[in-house]
Amino acid sequence: MKHFILFSILLILTQSIYSQDYNFFEPKATIAGYGELHYNNEKIGDAPSKAIWDFHRFVLFFGYSWSEKWSFKSEVELEHNFVKNGQGELELEQAYINYHHSDLFGFNVGIILPSIGLINEYHEPPLFFGTERPVYHNLIIPTTWFGSGASVYGNINGFDYRLMLFETLNSDKFTFSQGIRGGRMKGYKTDASRFLYSARLDYLNIPGLKIGASFSFNNAKGDTTNVDVTITEFHAKYEANNLTAIFEFGNISYNSGELRASRGYYIDLGYNIASFFELNTKIIPFVRYSDINTAAETFSGGDNEKRYHFNEWMIGLNVKPIDNIVFKVDYSEQVRKLDDRKSKFINFGVGYMF
Amino acid sequence: MLIKILFTVLISFVAYSQDIQEKVNMSLQNCFVKDIQIDFEKLQIKNELKNSIEKKAGQKFFSNEVYLYKIFIGKKLIGYGLLDNVYGKSLPITFLVMYDNTGKILCSEIIKYREPYGGAIQSKEWNDQFKGKNMESDFVVGKDVSGISGATISVNSVTKGIKKLTLLLNEIISK
Repeated sequence: MKHFILFSILLILTQSIYSQDYNFFEPKATIAGYGELHYNNEKIGDAPSKAIWDFHRFVLFFGYSWSEKWSFKSEVELEHNFVKNGQGELELEQAYINYHHSDLFGFNVGIILPSIGLINEYHEPPLFFGTERPVYHNLIIPTTWFGSGASVYGNINGFDYRLMLFETLNSDKFTFSQGIRGGRMKGYKTDASRFLYSARLDYLNIPGLKIGASFSFNNAKGDTTNVDVTITEFHAKYEANNLTAIFEFGNISYNSGELRASRGYYIDLGYNIASFFELNTKIIPFVRYSDINTAAETFSGGDNEKRYHFNEWMIGLNVKPIDNIVFKVDYSEQVRKLDDRKSKFINFGVGYMF
Repeated sequence: MLIKILFTVLISFVAYSQDIQEKVNMSLQNCFVKDIQIDFEKLQIKNELKNSIEKKAGQKFFSNEVYLYKIFIGKKLIGYGLLDNVYGKSLPITFLVMYDNTGKILCSEIIKYREPYGGAIQSKEWNDQFKGKNMESDFVVGKDVSGISGATISVNSVTKGIKKLTLLLNEIISK
C-alpha cells in the first residue's frame, strides 16, 4: 500500500508537470461581431421608386470559456439602428451554455438558432452573396430564427448532426405573404406546452462541399388556431477552386387552415475573377435565380396560389479586400406569376465580421 | 481490490490527460511510417523572426514557443513535426504539421478541436490538401485551400497557422 501511494504521488506529480506541457487551454472571454450598412432602392410594379439607407444589423458576440468543455456564447443585435415605438429591434439572438464533450457529442441550452438551411446559423455578411440575405431566407426559412431551446450535436465520420427541441411557432401569425415568418416567438414568453422538433444531417468530408437536409415538426398553436407544421429542407454549398455554387430547396406543409404549403428554392453561382490577376482581393460576380411561393397550396385554391408566387433573377458583385470585409452591389428583378407585375431592386452595402 | 480500482482510475486519468501527446506520437508514426526516433524540443522563436513571419502570414503566434519534433531513422534526419495552436472563434485549435527534410508538407492533422461549430476541419480530406505545399505556396482559402461551409473562422485560422509553421520550418532548416 505504501509503495502504491508513493507511486501514485510520483505519477500525479510528474503527470501534472508533464500535462501542463500540453494544456494549451486557458479560461478566456471572447468578443466578436458583425454588421451591415445597406442602400436599398426598390420599384414595385408601377409605383414610384423608393430608396433608403439602412444600417440593417449591428451585432456583438460575447462568449466565455470556463473550460475546454463548458462555455457560454451570446449575440445581441440592434436592427435598423434605432429602437422606438415598433421601429427597429433590439434582440438577444443567442445566449446559451454549451457543453462540448467530444467531436461525437455535445449539447447546448438557452436562446439558440434552429439548424435549418445554410444561413440561419451562419449569417455574417461576408458569408453570403447579395446585399440582403437571399429572399428564400426571408420568406421560406425565416432568418434570423432564434428562440428558447436545447440541442445535441456531433460529428461521426464526416456526418454532422444536430437534434433540437425548440420553442413552438404561433400558428395565428402564419400568412399567405410570409409563410411561418410571423409565427416566430423570438424567445418571448413562448407557450411551453409544445415544442418544435428538428433534426439536421450534413455530410462534410468532400473538401469544399457541404450537403445536407433537415426535417422539423411542430404542432403550432395560437389563440384561435392549431396547425401541424412540417418543414423539409435540402441544402448544398460548394466553395473551392474560386467557384461558389449554392442550392437550397424548402417546403413547409400545414395540415389545417387556409394556407397548406409554402415552397421555394434558389441557385447561386459565383466565381472569383481576381484569381486571373493573382490579386489577394476577392472579386466575385454572381448570379442568382429564386423561385418563391409562400402560398404554394391553399385550401381554396385559385389566384392566391399565384399572387404570392414570384421568380427573381439577380446579378451582383461581392468584393472582399480581406475575408472579414465585404462590399456588395446587386440588381434584381422579380416577376409575380399572377399578373407578370415586375419589381426591380438595386442594393449596395458594406459588411464586416470579426 | 481497492488498490486495483485506484490504480485503474489513476491510469485512466493519466491516459486521458495525455491524449494530445499520444495523438501527436500516433500522427508522427502514421506520417513517417517506418521505425522512427523522435527528438522533442520546445523551440523559442526569436522576436525578430516571429514578427517577420507574423507579418507575412497575417496572424500572431499563439505564444513565443512551438513544439518541434525531429524525426530520425538511425542517425539520419528525415523530417520534422511542428505542433502549435491557433484560435478558432474563441478556443485554441491544436494542430500538427509534418514535413520532409526539405520543408515540404507530408501530412497535417488537427490534434485537438474544442469549438462546438466547425469540427469538420478535422477531416483527413481537408487536411490532405496541404500535402506537397511548401513555403512558396499561396495558402489562400478559396484558391489553393478549399473552405468548409460553417467553419470559415477555423479554416482561415488554421490555414494561416500552417503557413506560419511552414515559414518557420524553412528558417529552422536553413540554419
